[in-house]
Amino acid sequence: MHEGSITVRLPVDLREIERLNRIVRQFGDLNEIPSRALYALNLALDEVVTNVVRHGFDDRSGQEVVACITTRQGELMTVVTDSGRPFNPLDVPAPDVDVPLSERTLGGLGIHLVRSLMDSLEYRREKEKNVLTLRKRVR
Amino acid sequence: MQIKESKQGGVLILTVSENLDSSTSTIFESRVLAVIERGERRIVVDCGELEYVNSAGLKVFLLAAKRLEPLGGKLVICGLAPSVLMIFEMIGFARIMKIVPSLDDALQALGGNAAPA
Repeated sequence: MHEGSITVRLPVDLREIERLNRIVRQFGDLNEIPSRALYALNLALDEVVTNVVRHGFDDRSGQEVVACITTRQGELMTVVTDSGRPFNPLDVPAPDVDVPLSERTLGGLGIHLVRSLMDSLEYRREKEKNVLTLRKRVR
Repeated sequence: MQIKESKQGGVLILTVSENLDSSTSTIFESRVLAVIERGERRIVVDCGELEYVNSAGLKVFLLAAKRLEPLGGKLVICGLAPSVLMIFEMIGFARIMKIVPSLDDALQALGGNAAPA
């Protein structure tokens, strides 16, 4: 994996997520990010940005979400920033994945995936913005 | 995303292809709920051409399985690509849903006839 970085600024709109995934795949190919890690990153980003689009704003027009991806020394670090309402995805309770079908709830699947796909997540509220840092170790 | 529908030996087969994401999963959800509503109880979702699924798509499988269970119905999922299977396992679906390799396995699991050789 080569060292590099890319910043993608997107309008807050679900239709932009596919474009983000295409850009991330190209960046991943150029920097030789292993395919499993790239797949995990794309899915985690999809979940995080979908949350921002769905819940972050009353009025999404003119708003943006920014994803900055950096590869260095065996690590893939992604910082997602938005100026939506304060939201810490780490506060979302994890679904209990060990219960029988009838007791499984429909919520929390997205954040559970992000937690499982990444090695660490960090949230902070900074200058009226949500800043979520996702890290994944890459061999 | 594309959805194809067929029937074999009393088993309804939905073939879903390409991407099941936040933009497309609502269409998939209405389709699946509609077939349950009209009385289908043995349903296979063939994911052999499914390339990508996110939590919005996963939720539809969970919803369908939960709807079918009290009705005495059953959902079987087949043909998952390794990357997609990994996601189903990560979210614990392998424990609460029947996931099998091929369509023939799925038809057998539902007591339908396997495709003629």
